[in-house]
Amino acid sequence: MATERSYVSYATAALAVAAIPLSFVGPEGLRLAVVGLLMLAGPGTALVLLLHFNPSRSTQATGALPLSIAIAVAFSLAMSTLVATAMIYARLWSPPVSVCILSIMTLGFLALDIKRPKHVLVRAK
Amino acid sequence: MTRETATSLPVHTAHRHDARVPYGRAKPPTHRNLGLTPSWHVGALAAAAAIALVLGVWSMTQVDPLQIGGAGLIGVLPPAYFVALALSLAGFVASLALRRLVPALLTWQLLVTMVVLNGADPVIHGLPRLEASFRHLGIADNIAQTGQLDPTVDAYFNWPGFFDLLGMLSGATGAKDLMGIATWAPVGINILLLAPLLALARRLTANPRHAWAAVWIFYLASWIGQDYLAPQAYSFVLLLTLVACLLSVFGGWAWPTERSGFSRWLARNVSRLDGAVPRQGVLEPPRTDAAVLVVVCALIVLTMTVSHQLSPFALIPILAALLLTGRLRLRFLPVLAVILPVAWLLFAASTFLQGHFGQLLSSLGDIGANSFGALNTRVSGSDAHMFVVYTRIAEVALVWILAAIGAVVGYRRKTPWLAAAAAAFAPLLLIPLQSYGGELLLRLYLFSLPFAVCLVVLPLTSDKAAGLSLRRSLGLLLMGAVLATGTVVSRYGNDGMESFNDDEIAVVNHLYSTAPAGAILIEAVHNTPWRFQHYADYDYRTLIAAEPLPGAAPISCDSANQIAHRAGAYLIITESQLEAAELRGSTPAGDLQRFTASCATSPGWTKVFENAGGVIFHIEGVSNGN
Repeated sequence: MATERSYVSYATAALAVAAIPLSFVGPEGLRLAVVGLLMLAGPGTALVLLLHFNPSRSTQATGALPLSIAIAVAFSLAMSTLVATAMIYARLWSPPVSVCILSIMTLGFLALDIKRPKHVLVRAK
Repeated sequence: MTRETATSLPVHTAHRHDARVPYGRAKPPTHRNLGLTPSWHVGALAAAAAIALVLGVWSMTQVDPLQIGGAGLIGVLPPAYFVALALSLAGFVASLALRRLVPALLTWQLLVTMVVLNGADPVIHGLPRLEASFRHLGIADNIAQTGQLDPTVDAYFNWPGFFDLLGMLSGATGAKDLMGIATWAPVGINILLLAPLLALARRLTANPRHAWAAVWIFYLASWIGQDYLAPQAYSFVLLLTLVACLLSVFGGWAWPTERSGFSRWLARNVSRLDGAVPRQGVLEPPRTDAAVLVVVCALIVLTMTVSHQLSPFALIPILAALLLTGRLRLRFLPVLAVILPVAWLLFAASTFLQGHFGQLLSSLGDIGANSFGALNTRVSGSDAHMFVVYTRIAEVALVWILAAIGAVVGYRRKTPWLAAAAAAFAPLLLIPLQSYGGELLLRLYLFSLPFAVCLVVLPLTSDKAAGLSLRRSLGLLLMGAVLATGTVVSRYGNDGMESFNDDEIAVVNHLYSTAPAGAILIEAVHNTPWRFQHYADYDYRTLIAAEPLPGAAPISCDSANQIAHRAGAYLIITESQLEAAELRGSTPAGDLQRFTASCATSPGWTKVFENAGGVIFHIEGVSNGN
């Protein structure tokens, strides 16, 4: 499962990095897929990895995965919405910049996850 | 997904301040109830779901949209569709009856059921459902292009969060046309709902089998179609995630149960009614992680607040219900859930409040008008439409009756039920506030459903660790079949007017290419797939509301001429407008056709464009003497 976590971390980081240039230029379909996925699940996935919502350490942790996915999606959508809304009200509307903010947020959470002691895990039952 | 057993292990760590006895009837897993399902059973059930998917999609491609009548899609779906639906339902129940639950299989089967039940719009029509979808695309387009909000345009700009999100997606990807996303939204939204629904059901039921069954029933009974590209669907995903997170991480009493007489009385009665606290899905994160999750919950409430008028207010009674049943220990969150939407209404949405203050106050406290009065306005239209309306009412009644029976069964079996019952009932407390444009009851059904289904499944599922008996399996299958069939009738009962075709879109596109910016555009009946572009560039008007209004003036050439009196106007009449008028009885039968025929020859009226989807007239202004 540690390997799976690593794969998810790498994929999330790659998504966040790729979204930065693609929010400015690139083929429309690719931009829609990458930026859309970042807005849907980027920051939230990084946050969930940081919080170690990992059910594998306990056979009793049968409920962690659905909640992890739900929080990953809801937090990502919430941050996308709040960043976009803040830019509108601040009259600083720039969608590519808002995507960059989400990417930086995602990479920041992933960096914190690397620094965090690995023994801190969610106890789940 | 992780492999799940048929029950949860007993856990001795009680919630903070939790004085109740943990639920302890379920047996721990043993070698007898683990791993005894042959792999070929799982493979066969997965293959059956795949066949159901292919058959369901293929059968929907055989539907001729032009044949859809007043009863909606049910009248034109081929028998193969119902075979596919039956196969998907039977497969899920069979999987649920296995000794060992296989989450990946159950997830796959639920996805198939979602596509079969909710895939009609993209598969049959290839366009978004409901005229509101097109308007929502237009608002997002407006925001993406201007980067500004004009709250005087309409109420949407006072709660812009969801549209800001779409505008950001459009602006950051260069995708000017999000029509594809809107078309697939019903399937996509239901997929997004799966994880929060499952997490929620786990915290409200005794074991995973109950939880999966409850989620399945949710999809079968969710007929109201609030899963199109809209702030409601978006906020609903957030709401369910929030409640699931709170129940999973922040469960327990918000105060020491021995603090006062009231808290002792409350805890004693809650414990007496329902002493069973489900343990599955409970998380106990370290203090710092819990603090982060508190912030996440607060941000979700804030996002709901900026995105939708109703959902934050629906959240308040749900949180209160969980607080009073000892399932939410964050006291400040219900307070925050009150402060944020009220503050937003007073400050950020003040333009809306000033324009609608009288309207909001007029319906305050009028329970009759907001409930049965609003319901009565919908019980009208053609005979076929009345059949659909009565099916909807029957389905809602069936779900709530089964939920009530489930609550009694839960009480008698000492299975968790009280939190689900309280949260299912809580949204109904909004009835005295307002009718929400006559849609309040529909929305309350939606808010109530995720909790109600946790009770609905109780009589038909067992507390035993392994599998389901044949009798219970058949009962569950029968209930699922009734609800699914009812949903096909009720969800797609208005398909004739809620779906559109390429000809209608061509008419609208021609209107935009013909009418100069700032012109008055009139729809004969409020059901036009327009405003997906140029949302604020024209003066949009409507002659007849889709819902029949008491005392409304009949449609006439004069009413259009009066609007066009000064500067002229363009009038658009589409197929879906005719369908809406006929289905809902917006105008007397044949009135709209007579209107079109008689006005076409009126002085100053010129037919600009016509195809199978509709017609556009230009009405001259004062220069013509109208």
